[in-house]
Amino acid sequence: MIFIILIYAFIIIINVPGLLKRKEWRELTAFSILYVIALVLGLMYVLDIPIPSPMKGLQHLIVDILGIEYPQG
Amino acid sequence: MSIEKGKISSQQLLFLIAGFVQGSVLLIDFTVGLTEHQTWMVILAALAITTPVVLSYAVLAKRFPGMNLVQINDMVYGRFLGKVVSVYYIFFFLMTLSFNIRDVGELYTTFLMPDTPFVFLLVVFTATCTYAVTKGIEVLARISHLFVVTGIFILISTFIFLIDQMDFSKFLPFFELPFIRIFQGIHIVSMIPFGETVAFLIIMGCLNNTEHVVKNTFFGLLIGAVSLLIGAARNTAVLGRTQTIWTSPSFQSIRLIDIGTVLTRMDFLIGIGQTILIFLKCSLFFYVLVVAISQLLGLKSYLPLVLPLAAIEVIIAATVYQSPVDHTMITQNAGIIYSTPLVFIIPPLSLLIAKIRGLPKSERGKGT
Amino acid sequence: MGKKMKLSNMKLISCFLMLFILSGCIGAREINDLEIVIGMGVDKDENPENILLTAQVVKATAGKASENESRGEDSKAFWNVSSRGNSVFDAVRQITHKTGNRLFISHNQAVIFGKDIAKEGLQEYIDFFLRAHEMRPTALILIAEDRASDVLNAKPETEKFPAVNIAKLIKTYGFTSNFYKVNMEDFASCLLNPTKAQLVPLVSIIQDGEYKDVYVSGMVVFKKGKMVSKLTHDDVRGLLWILGKVKSGVIIVPSPNEQGKAVLEIIKAKSKVTPEIKDGKIVMHIKIREESSLSEQTTSENLATNEAFEKIQEASAEVIRKEAMAAFNKSVELNADIFGFGEMLHKKYSKEWKTLKDNWDEIYPTIELNIDVETKIIKTDLLKKPASPSE
Repeated sequence: MIFIILIYAFIIIINVPGLLKRKEWRELTAFSILYVIALVLGLMYVLDIPIPSPMKGLQHLIVDILGIEYPQG
Repeated sequence: MSIEKGKISSQQLLFLIAGFVQGSVLLIDFTVGLTEHQTWMVILAALAITTPVVLSYAVLAKRFPGMNLVQINDMVYGRFLGKVVSVYYIFFFLMTLSFNIRDVGELYTTFLMPDTPFVFLLVVFTATCTYAVTKGIEVLARISHLFVVTGIFILISTFIFLIDQMDFSKFLPFFELPFIRIFQGIHIVSMIPFGETVAFLIIMGCLNNTEHVVKNTFFGLLIGAVSLLIGAARNTAVLGRTQTIWTSPSFQSIRLIDIGTVLTRMDFLIGIGQTILIFLKCSLFFYVLVVAISQLLGLKSYLPLVLPLAAIEVIIAATVYQSPVDHTMITQNAGIIYSTPLVFIIPPLSLLIAKIRGLPKSERGKGT
Repeated sequence: MGKKMKLSNMKLISCFLMLFILSGCIGAREINDLEIVIGMGVDKDENPENILLTAQVVKATAGKASENESRGEDSKAFWNVSSRGNSVFDAVRQITHKTGNRLFISHNQAVIFGKDIAKEGLQEYIDFFLRAHEMRPTALILIAEDRASDVLNAKPETEKFPAVNIAKLIKTYGFTSNFYKVNMEDFASCLLNPTKAQLVPLVSIIQDGEYKDVYVSGMVVFKKGKMVSKLTHDDVRGLLWILGKVKSGVIIVPSPNEQGKAVLEIIKAKSKVTPEIKDGKIVMHIKIREESSLSEQTTSENLATNEAFEKIQEASAEVIRKEAMAAFNKSVELNADIFGFGEMLHKKYSKEWKTLKDNWDEIYPTIELNIDVETKIIKTDLLKKPASPSE
């Protein structure tokens, strides 16, 4: 738990002052969006909230709905 | 306008591609469960099928010098559709990078350091990749020479050490397995080691000179494929029938090295080799991912995106699959199917469209 | 400029110091926390559900204690610790009740299975040894004549540890070629093979006065993982002739003048097996080439002549052919494909093999062997003539 906080704080410290100083608003926006996503995922991981796996969704989509599959065995 | 200020030479591209393909040497163990002693055939067939496709990437890069994949997509498919295609690619890079990072974790927790918590390994490895990416492509390109030589050295030396335990009759009988399995094997091998070179469409935008792109790409691919072949041949000759039951046949055959009771327990060789090569592969993928996203969003530099993306990647790698069993099953089915259009269909299509439309138009000047 | 240099030097030094602090390993186990296992034995327990696992553990202070010991004292350099469990892994973990540390099986030289386990079938018990991360595939596998724990208890003369002694016995099979060594990898390979019957060395104990000696008394035939029968030394040598695995050994033939023996030392032996399906019958063409040297003769007549050599060569070829045929006949009796003929057929005639595979048990006894032996005597060691008065 504490690792997450440290690491995420570290990320902000490294990136944000430089971006603010150089007034790179676009970069700051992109950074913030990704940062929030990372933060949410990180917290979900630490708090043991199950994170939906994109590959399972893809597997479901391709195999069950489209029916394309290699025969097993 | 291209983001990357770094430039790499064509020869460095050769080594980058060779190292990249070599990084999948343990991924061949995926297919061994399916194709048993015919794995070498599968590798050769996949090489034959993928070579024209990969060369089409090189030709595409040559046609659009200095431009990376996202810019090419924008030009060929128009602003909207191009961005959709680029997003598809970015999803692919995101997922594949997390699989590769997860592979390293699985390597360590299964064989080398079984007591270490999975996430720590992922974090440490990703942190190293992140650092490499912030330094830029030039650094990676310079290091690739060393890594490729190390990879080849390890493969050849393990092969030589095991010669007295090899029995080449284990390659017989040829053509025994049902064709559908061979086909799936070819599909897997052409997608995972060879097809992932589609990531180079971004890196080729950094070449300072696109004259010898096609030749160097071909040789890079060839060196990588030969490395894979040596590995697969060694495993089949040494283990024969048992290679289907081990989690990693490469590891197991190296464990059998026993020369003069001095050269034993050489597991570390493959640990070192694989770690180095997967590191190269992951750093390249990471670089490609970051540059693609920055290019898509029109950013001036990719640096600020690196760390958040690294965090996202680690979490995805840690949670996307439950165990190696899941990993294998899903990759052998959905994993290769969803990425097939990206590797086989879209780039040659782009080339075709570019030829028909006569892109890049000379009056356009310097891109967007 | 000076300040910049100082700063980068500081960074370098701090990085260097961090190397010492940050490097570590969660899975690190110090030597005195390890119980180094050099041999393991698996037997059936009185309770039929359980197995008895015996692990031979090295005692850390072995070096000094063994200097002063005489054979009567009970100061052994090893410790056979045993435990009962429902499965092999269960028993392995139960041993920590007695040792306090987890077993470290990376140095395991040999795994010995008791006869009752072998009769029941090794499939159930071998999985742990293949799957365990610390286990080496180069470890040998053996069957004990009675109980594995007895074999592990027999204290050898020249070695400190029984397990190391046994492993040494097996690895030096080349001197007599009466058995051969089988490691975990080979055994696993044969388990996967539906037609081949595997052989594993059999270890017995004989009572030599007061002390027990361990020796390899033959090999055990496994069919589909279950022990079926035993083979004696000579049978096994016949098998090794056919497979080309004979390294060295002794062939005794009567000398041409019928007054004594000529003893040959095998220097080199090769064999080539070609399967052939002729008119629906399976014929195996076996070519054996052997080179030997005349190591001992018991008559006074000089055998180091070309005529004598030819007769001896013929006689020894006959001996080899008999041994090979005997091995084959024994295998037909047991209906066990110990040579791997099925596999050879598979490799050459893969289409026909698909139909033959299922009836292999019926087809195997109908195989014909065509053995062609050629022997050469290439040297006579140090004597040109025997030490006897010439006529």
